[in-house]
Amino acid sequence: MRSPIQSPSTKVFHWVSLVSLFLMITSGLQIYNANPVFGGREGLHLPAILGLGGWLAGGRHWHFATMWIFVLNLLWYGVYVLLTRHWQHRYVSGKDVKALLVGQNLKRKNYAWHRLVYTLLIPMLLLSIFTGIGMYKPAQFYWIVDSFGGWEALRITHFMAVPITLILAGLHSQLGRKVGGDRLLDSMFWD
Amino acid sequence: MEPNQNKPDLDLESDDTDLVPRRRFLNLAGAGLLTIGFGSLAEGFVGAVSEPLNQQVESLIFQPQKLVPELPIAAIEPDKLIINSFRGTPPIDLASYRLIIDGAVDNPLSLSMSDVQKLPFTSMVIRHVCVEGWAAIVQWGGVRLRDLIAIAKPSTQAKYVYFYSADGYYESWDLDSVMHPQTLMAYQKNSQPLEAANGAPLRLASPVKLGYKLSKWVTRIELTSELGEKQGYWEDLGYEWYAGL
Repeated sequence: MRSPIQSPSTKVFHWVSLVSLFLMITSGLQIYNANPVFGGREGLHLPAILGLGGWLAGGRHWHFATMWIFVLNLLWYGVYVLLTRHWQHRYVSGKDVKALLVGQNLKRKNYAWHRLVYTLLIPMLLLSIFTGIGMYKPAQFYWIVDSFGGWEALRITHFMAVPITLILAGLHSQLGRKVGGDRLLDSMFWD
Repeated sequence: MEPNQNKPDLDLESDDTDLVPRRRFLNLAGAGLLTIGFGSLAEGFVGAVSEPLNQQVESLIFQPQKLVPELPIAAIEPDKLIINSFRGTPPIDLASYRLIIDGAVDNPLSLSMSDVQKLPFTSMVIRHVCVEGWAAIVQWGGVRLRDLIAIAKPSTQAKYVYFYSADGYYESWDLDSVMHPQTLMAYQKNSQPLEAANGAPLRLASPVKLGYKLSKWVTRIELTSELGEKQGYWEDLGYEWYAGL
């Protein structure tokens, strides 16, 4: 059976996404713990060991440094996908939805789920960026805050994107493994 | 003997049947924790590398005369304004209180509260944002800081403004943000006279800076041409200086 091959650009994008997302989430947890979104100071704190930065200032340093890598990586890859027209065949399509709804072939359905899940990760990451910019510069980008109906809603959205993204990422790796085994996983990370 | 077509891995252990292969999980978890550990130690370095860029960007997007949209009175959230002070409330004798404005000015001032309250009164309802992540919509009333500074006649050399407070807290701002029309020296909060715990008699209020830059119990405003080594209580500990919203 032939090994799957990912383009070098895709592999770079995937690696950088994974590492920068890890840094964004862990530094984000450090920031979160300074005043938990649900319940404030008396609210639920997350385990301190997962926080990157040591304290609030450190978390902010990591968060506002890594954000550049995180965003620019998505940007260049978005341009690449558009120019190479990868979006036409590498991401979820009407055919996948049809396979999920009426298809009988189990392998085809699994493949469709896999494509659906990894496609959904992109808007989740973009939502995190959009809400993040609103929280970082709420006076200059007041319209972002307004579009969510206020500070609390913005903050909750930015925070909730994290567990949702983590669940999607977990499903993503499981589906990848199901669809193509460790060989598929290796093709994205190594080879 | 048939070639084994169902197990492309050469790995003969039970990793294939695990939902998350044990060794892979341990490797990833270990790498993650090590990254967090060493990364936390490097936070100062990461900040030193990235803050100049972030400061450039935020001062670029700051519009010195553009008003930040204000909020309706009905939106005020009185219970949300948490009182944060690094040392508690200092005792201030209101009768002998004076606001000093000096430094790079041609006309240094020493104003009593009745002097300050003779100047035109401005009220605004804005969002106070704390670096901790919470925010509160609050009404502030007071005098525009740029009106006070105009009376002191700043010299052309003046580029920065230091704020000294009665409790030992100190801050420094860029002049543009100080002169922004919504930067006030406030003595009213939510339609009531400002209380001691919130910074009475005078505190900074502005929608364009993070909460830690909005000094309470201000006793002296000093204009300077340069930023010194000490730039603010929290800044000197590692927080960013510009802190623009």
